[in-house]
Amino acid sequence: MSKLGNKVKTLDEALAVIPKSGARIMIGGFVGASEPTCCIEWLIKNNIHDITLITNEPGLDGFGRAMLYKNGLVREIISSHVGTTSESTEQYLKGNLKVEQFYPMGTLAEKIRAGAMGLGGVLVPVGVGILDEEGLFDLPEPKQIVELNGKKYFVEPAITAPFGLVKAWRADEIGNLEYRYTGLNCNAIYAMACDYTIAEVEEIVPVGTIPPERVGTPAPVVSAVVKGLSLEEHDELYRRHWLKIGKLAPEPAMA
Amino acid sequence: MDPRVLIVKRAAQELKDGQVVNLGFGMPTQASNYLPPGVKVMFHGENGIVGIGPKPKASKACADITNAGAEPITLVPGAAIMDLATSQGLMRKGYLDITILGALEVDQLGNLANWAVKRNGKWWPGIGGAMDLCYGTKIVIACLMHTDKNGASKVLKRCALPLTGARCLKTIITDKAVFDVGDNVLILKEHAPGVTLDEIKKCTEADFIVAKDFHEMQFEEAVAAAGR
Repeated sequence: MSKLGNKVKTLDEALAVIPKSGARIMIGGFVGASEPTCCIEWLIKNNIHDITLITNEPGLDGFGRAMLYKNGLVREIISSHVGTTSESTEQYLKGNLKVEQFYPMGTLAEKIRAGAMGLGGVLVPVGVGILDEEGLFDLPEPKQIVELNGKKYFVEPAITAPFGLVKAWRADEIGNLEYRYTGLNCNAIYAMACDYTIAEVEEIVPVGTIPPERVGTPAPVVSAVVKGLSLEEHDELYRRHWLKIGKLAPEPAMA
Repeated sequence: MDPRVLIVKRAAQELKDGQVVNLGFGMPTQASNYLPPGVKVMFHGENGIVGIGPKPKASKACADITNAGAEPITLVPGAAIMDLATSQGLMRKGYLDITILGALEVDQLGNLANWAVKRNGKWWPGIGGAMDLCYGTKIVIACLMHTDKNGASKVLKRCALPLTGARCLKTIITDKAVFDVGDNVLILKEHAPGVTLDEIKKCTEADFIVAKDFHEMQFEEAVAAAGR
């Protein structure tokens, strides 16, 4: 398919390429915010299982990605954390969710950015002398350390994935993506680190609508565009959740 | 005063006008409610913000304006949004002036442990952005209860848990005392109201010396500012 053809697809068309079992999938979002809600629901509905999930952290309790763990669909998580949802904690402590090692958030972001940029890896000073301590993680090989200009760094190999699910505000038909506020988070980096990236967006607009300097992910990076919730539905979903968990105070006018 | 509120109020006094600040989850987040009078700072959020403002009204909350805990926020004038790698780079490279972090254990070398405990034989819950903050931030402050539920000291000679940051702490604030970190020894600067030096000696495993100007924590009237 042309990198500049019309990439708008239904969820079924876009996601059908993902193998039923054992897929390695990268999912954007930050603790449940700005994650590809409808794509995640599709994975659950279609029982896509034994996933190796590459993600910043597991997500938010009772929400989005958390439902993947609740349904036992994730075999391994490559992340900075396993405890931001009770669902991932439970599966991990039961031994159903593998974590080979935890990465500092900045290290994980750079490993994936290296993958996105076509690099072999990055040199990271954070955690040297701590995360390489014997017995902390059960690794197939010890973490490699190099010394450069008198300072020690981990050699951190790049991370890529065959499949990426990201969330943006809007896309044009050829797949240019525009992000809204903190919805940017890791979505633009993840989009570029995957062979087949599906962008879930709130609006699909004609080519030429998004000002070129506002494009956060350029069209050639994106393989498929799917329409998710509308902007109003998306805001409403989170407002309801925040009201439920006490992060927002109800207003008298809001019936 | 509730011991946790005391810790938070005292921690807020460490914030100085014009600083770029990251507040960790839990107790530290509350420090934004007790900024000293006249102190204006910019709050950083790991997910990619400098300039976090107070919580919005429910009707104004936006799904794509959130802090690192996925809570609804507003953005102050002058705020900036960036991608995650840039945000983590600000932390690692030292663009943040100060971070206040919760702790499980601290020690007299200035080590901080706050990312892992053993549950079912596994380390849990994970690192998140804390190691990057400890690595790069100019001033790292730890907040914790002085002892655990059984009265055992959490201010130790050496942390037993995996570290988040090595020799990174400048100051340790507990419900009983404030210590600065010296050269392999803590320096006891302040005691909480009603807490004696003897009491602090009894519940502190770490070696410490008493500062010449050792005194009681002072609480002026704080101005509640932009909450996170």
